[in-house]
Amino acid sequence: MGIRFDLFFLSIAVLCAPCLSDLVLSKVDRRIDLTSQIARFTSTLKVENIGSDPVSEVLLPFPDHQAKNLAYLAATTNEGKGKTKGFTTTLPVEVVHPKGMPPALTWYSVSLPKGLGQGESLTLDVLAVFTHALRPFPEKIPQDQPQRVAFQDSAYYLSPYVVKVQLLSVKLPPGTKLESHTKLEKTEVSGSEIKYGPYENLPSFSYSPIVVHFENNQPFAVAQELVREIEISHWGNVQVTEHYNLIHGGSQLMGEFSRLEYQARPQIRGASAFRHLVAKLPPRAHSVYYRDEIGNISTSHLWGDSRKTQLEIEPRYPMFGGWKTAFTIGYGLPLKDFLFQSEGKRILNISFGSPIKDLVIDCLIVKVVLPEGSKDVSGSVPFPVKQWHETKFSHLDMVGRPVVVLEKMNVVQEHNQQFQVYYKFNNLSLLREPLMLISGFFFLFIACIVYMHADLTISKSSASYMAKLQWDEVQTAIQQVQRIINRCLTIHDKLEATLRDLSRTGDMQACKAARKAADGLLKELSKELKPLLAFLHSCPQAAQILPKVEELVAKERELQEKLMVKHSTVVDSYEKKSGGREIENRIASIQQKLTALRQEVEDLLEVIDEI
Amino acid sequence: AQSAKPISSPIPDAWYPTLAVFMLAIGLVVTASFFIYEATSSRKNRCLAKELATGAVASVFLGFGSLFLLLASGVYV
Repeated sequence: MGIRFDLFFLSIAVLCAPCLSDLVLSKVDRRIDLTSQIARFTSTLKVENIGSDPVSEVLLPFPDHQAKNLAYLAATTNEGKGKTKGFTTTLPVEVVHPKGMPPALTWYSVSLPKGLGQGESLTLDVLAVFTHALRPFPEKIPQDQPQRVAFQDSAYYLSPYVVKVQLLSVKLPPGTKLESHTKLEKTEVSGSEIKYGPYENLPSFSYSPIVVHFENNQPFAVAQELVREIEISHWGNVQVTEHYNLIHGGSQLMGEFSRLEYQARPQIRGASAFRHLVAKLPPRAHSVYYRDEIGNISTSHLWGDSRKTQLEIEPRYPMFGGWKTAFTIGYGLPLKDFLFQSEGKRILNISFGSPIKDLVIDCLIVKVVLPEGSKDVSGSVPFPVKQWHETKFSHLDMVGRPVVVLEKMNVVQEHNQQFQVYYKFNNLSLLREPLMLISGFFFLFIACIVYMHADLTISKSSASYMAKLQWDEVQTAIQQVQRIINRCLTIHDKLEATLRDLSRTGDMQACKAARKAADGLLKELSKELKPLLAFLHSCPQAAQILPKVEELVAKERELQEKLMVKHSTVVDSYEKKSGGREIENRIASIQQKLTALRQEVEDLLEVIDEI
Repeated sequence: AQSAKPISSPIPDAWYPTLAVFMLAIGLVVTASFFIYEATSSRKNRCLAKELATGAVASVFLGFGSLFLLLASGVYV
């Protein structure tokens, strides 16, 4: 069918008059690279303006059947010494010429930055990448046959302008057999290269179909669908998860697969199969995993240096023609390599395509998941893609995270450029997550408090409930008694401290004042103690503990009295100005009793505490 | 862009595990004191303000501690 189309073309081209005569391509040098599954056309066009008006665009036509496989088109110019990229490609403009440009052509227009003046010439480098251009022929092969593909194109450069000199060189994989090729005039085969030309002074729209049939055992890895999810966390990580659906796009395997033969002589039995895929990840990638629906796949190698991290993966079985496999690769990247701040907006700068080398992707979907609270989200990609927004619910989310989805068909390695996503984010929104956790824990504590405070007994007049209430009250009273006794003890301590001060400074007035204050406080405390003791008396439940409490109170009173006696003797001795040793002798016995009593009081306090 | 500065996390990555351990430890200690207070005080002596305050402090420390625990274990929330 392709051949018939081309003959139709040829006839039209011959009949059609040349339509554009302003520009002339003085030299066209075409190199077609067929060393992998992707066909790369590099054309160097020397464009000369022979008309009188400056020209600002150059038209590039492609036949429709070829244009639907066109994945990437870029035109660059070389200006002066360095290579400056001065290119703009406008998307297919279906120009319908009234004078009848040949139909079934897709036109691309390269806009020149400054118009080409009269008599000037310009060198244009056009790179066109075609996927699925190598057709497996035969389409089904048994295991031991090598893979052969057929490639169709035109020996003459299809152009609306007159071409003065043109060359074509087709490069095949090194060391492979060339089955057949179209032999036109001036065709020569040298090694793994076929040269057509140079052809001179051909009219515009000249087309001469050629077919090259050769052996190509390069891996034909085609990803039917690839979903790349890039999740940003402002806590310092960019997580990339890639879900692959791979198929071997070459000649399909016919007949049975013999594992024994494959393992014995893989080069002969299974020349077209591939086992390894190499992925080039950004440097400082961490937590790399490679798994599928069954679980982790351990046949992988990872090594990295400061410029890249290389991951080599091996699917669970070698890929033969027509076989499929599906797996997931995930890795984490440090945030500061990819997220930038400029003019109040945050910019994510990350690569678009797949990191696997030489992979053809039929449908690529890139999802960029931004943290909750991001606003004004927009993506900008250097080539046309389909863009829309979604929401994803992930960890600790309330309203969901905004997702920018970019979809592109027919993606090749040339699309592995950086793209940007712009958004606004307030740093305070970062606190949303810990606040959610904090409120969760606080709710637990509130529930605890409510449970302790709420009275959930069903019968409010049962004996056990009343007993429990009473015991609660007794406990309250005892705790208050304890508190009072502890305060008494602190007052005793303070008093002893003033005595020590007295021995240092000899300040009588302060001592006496302290004594007075202590007396006052102790009287108050004993007043507070009375109702509590009365209550404990009246309570039948406190019968057990009551004697101990009374003992405690009595001992404390004794302690108080003895301390007062000691205090007065010391003060008196100071007034009489008697020596230190005398004072000590006088209070010696009192002191002993004091310490003993103190110890007993503290023991009793402990015992009561434990009940 | 010319003036594009790289953005990184407000707290250095390397601190996440240490912060997680310390915050969780303090949070658990405060939780323990909260429950001890609940268990030993009788109905009348309880003070709601003290309970709420202890609960709030404990939940702040536990919240941050669990956040850093999640971050340190690789779940970048």
